[in-house]
Amino acid sequence: MDTMTSLNDIFREVFDDDTIEITRATTADDVDGWDSLSHTNLIVAVEMAYNVRFNLKDTRALKDVGELIDLIDRKLAEKG
Amino acid sequence: MLFSSYIFLFMFLPAALLLYYLAPARGRNLTLAGLSYFFYGWANPYCTLLLFGSTTVTYYCALAMARPAGAPATGEIPLRDEDAPASLRQKGAFWLSIAANLSLLFFFKYFNFGIENLNSLLATLGLEHLQFEGLLRIALPLGISFYVFKMVSYSIDVWQGSVRATRNFIDFACYVSMFPQLIAGPIVRYREMAAQLASRMHTSEKFARGTSFMCLGLAKKILVADPLGKVADTCFNAATLNALDAWYGLFAYTMQIYFDFSAYSDMATGVCLMFGFVIAKNFDSPYLADSFADFWRRWHISLSTWLRDYLFTPLNYMLLTERVRERMVREKFRYNYPAIASSVVVFTICGIWHGAGWPFVAWGAMHGVLLGLEQLRTKKSSYWKWPRALRVCCTFIPVSLAWVFFRAADLRSAFGYFGSMFGVGGRNAGDDLVAGVIYQPYYLLSMAVAAVLVWSAPQVWDFTRSLSWKKAAWCYGLLLLSIATLVTKAHSPFIYSAF
Repeated sequence: MDTMTSLNDIFREVFDDDTIEITRATTADDVDGWDSLSHTNLIVAVEMAYNVRFNLKDTRALKDVGELIDLIDRKLAEKG
Repeated sequence: MLFSSYIFLFMFLPAALLLYYLAPARGRNLTLAGLSYFFYGWANPYCTLLLFGSTTVTYYCALAMARPAGAPATGEIPLRDEDAPASLRQKGAFWLSIAANLSLLFFFKYFNFGIENLNSLLATLGLEHLQFEGLLRIALPLGISFYVFKMVSYSIDVWQGSVRATRNFIDFACYVSMFPQLIAGPIVRYREMAAQLASRMHTSEKFARGTSFMCLGLAKKILVADPLGKVADTCFNAATLNALDAWYGLFAYTMQIYFDFSAYSDMATGVCLMFGFVIAKNFDSPYLADSFADFWRRWHISLSTWLRDYLFTPLNYMLLTERVRERMVREKFRYNYPAIASSVVVFTICGIWHGAGWPFVAWGAMHGVLLGLEQLRTKKSSYWKWPRALRVCCTFIPVSLAWVFFRAADLRSAFGYFGSMFGVGGRNAGDDLVAGVIYQPYYLLSMAVAAVLVWSAPQVWDFTRSLSWKKAAWCYGLLLLSIATLVTKAHSPFIYSAF
């Protein structure tokens, strides 16, 4: 399963919505309930699912789902 | 100098525009900075020294923190690499800038409050002889909360490498002091202004839109906010009040504060446009919000995003320990502990940012708690199936109740007002006197106009997007009516200019 597909499942779980279909261009404005408060849930869910850790700087620069996928892939590559 | 005063509308603004447009293109930022210092110094010239001093410190600190050692003294400064090891000079410059700005804010805004509370604590402990007496009463320089936040955001952005430190002192001084935003915001970020400071278009469309923003903003202030303010003042200052009048008075204040502050923001946006600057929306129909988080995405956006970026997010991460992470996962994200705790802390700080007093703390904490509790509601909650109008109502009422703290002189008066709203105290002889004032047809009309504008009229932002002759006629008609009212009635200062 590629990162996009697995990430889509996480989005559906965190935002409690089985109709979510993310793309690389998806931003917080496109997902109902994705705000600075619920963002914490998303980050923790992603960290746990991929067994990686993000720091504040990693996530601060994220502008869309594409950048989140790149960040996950980078962290996974760093882990080896 | 208030935006709604004769001196601003008929003397300062026309003269400022004339000087600005007569100045050569290269000298326009300098002209605008000079005009802003004149504007700021109008009430108290000494305050300009404070503004200039803090601007200078922030400017040089940003240069010191961003410029790599041995870099040439000219040319564009690269974005700072946050991962690169920082030298002692760079770290020192960053912390000096933050400390200098915040200590300025703390000293001028919270010194008196701190002393008063210390004295009452000492009195409670029976240590009256240790109380501070006859100390200097510090006057709050206008706009300090706003321009300090602008400079703190610049320093952090430069430090984090999201904006380049500027070498152009005039541009930076122009950004900090820009008179339309100086007294009550919006807290515009440097990164939104950097390119516009370097070069911007001056078009007749922009100028016309700016003028419409000004006209509509002035009308909101003079024709709606000020009469509602009279109702709110009467109710909040009344010795006794029956329940209906208390609710009516709170509704008046709820509308007053929105119209007063959004009018100021409209006028600030309008004046900025007249000088060629485009700034982001500060209000987005906040009373149409259907949750508290939604309210804060729509109310005073420049402040809420500032708090989100520089306080909420870092605090959230600090609270995200391994144990908390594991617990959140175990409980299937039902409880977002860091966000709940951060909301309460950040909004309490938001409260005290507005003013040094316990009622502001209570207002902020109430919003923090409401936001935190709201996190417990999932997307599948039946709340989201309610009609939108009902959800708006369920947001509007608690937001209005919180304004009691914002308006009341102290906590005792706030709780007294809540008491009146819920029928504690019964009817009194004075009630008829209050009713005789607040239910005058002029005030009832203002209330109705406010309600229609809040819940069904287009925003000024959208109304002015494309101007027609008909819309222009509306704007100028309202301008004339506002000026006529200004001449015949006393008007009050903008509420947010006190922060």
